[in-house]
Amino acid sequence: MGYTGRCLCGAVTLRIDGDAVGAAQCWCRQCQISAGGGPANNAIFMTDVVRIEGQLATTGWQAASGTHPTLDFCPACGTHVCGRSPSGPGMMAVRIGVIDQPHDLVPQMAIWIEEAPAWAVIDPALPRMTRQTPDPEDKQ
Amino acid sequence: MTYTGRCACGTVTLRIAAKPLATRQCWCRQCQTIAAGSATNNAIFPAEAVQIDGSLAAASWTAASGNVLTFHYCPACGSQVYGQSSARPTMKTVRFGVIDQPHDLAPQAVIWTDDAPPWAVFDPALERFARQPPAPAPAKQG
Repeated sequence: MGYTGRCLCGAVTLRIDGDAVGAAQCWCRQCQISAGGGPANNAIFMTDVVRIEGQLATTGWQAASGTHPTLDFCPACGTHVCGRSPSGPGMMAVRIGVIDQPHDLVPQMAIWIEEAPAWAVIDPALPRMTRQTPDPEDKQ
Repeated sequence: MTYTGRCACGTVTLRIAAKPLATRQCWCRQCQTIAAGSATNNAIFPAEAVQIDGSLAAASWTAASGNVLTFHYCPACGSQVYGQSSARPTMKTVRFGVIDQPHDLAPQAVIWTDDAPPWAVFDPALERFARQPPAPAPAKQG
């Protein structure tokens, strides 16, 4: 399976030669800020199958878990393209919005639902996590 | 009614001294692109009521209607802050994401459901528009 994608202005393009490891819908407050108030929908890929062309800018923050995820975006239109976390080495979370449609990527779980706004509607068929997905490297 | 807000990195801050004219959840393809695959959730305010501090970057696209939609974002973190249509220069469409919580804003309608992905779920209580709805009424004078 492969995917192509682009930011809104087209300055950044993607080519992904591989299957997603997973896909999740994240309602954490940081994702709401970056996603127009709703959740971010991410497809997780191994970094080595994702090829991105065009200039990206990077921002980051300290997550509640103490890690420092980073987020790459197109400086020409602000479109968020992908995120990386030290807790997921070798993987990147590609925002589903930048992937060309039609495609077969669908969120498989909803995470951080304790931070979802009161008006949020979450697919009742999806598994839900109050906070972060279980991470084998988490020492909670 | 007053709202405050900020982008993810805090470079851009907002102060909005008005009630929204309307609130909408938009699933158009462009909104999905800038909203990580979701809809954008927007509150439409009278433009003059929206005070923004900090520098913004902007990009635009031409909609099917021929109107030019300009969207403004923080150049330091990419947070989408607000959009504006060439057809409605008196209104600013602020993304819920940058408004400080808690607040009383909730989408009142779902628009551009024609463009939504198959996995999208909509609040059954909300009015739906397959494409673009009519513009909200302007603020009452006086």
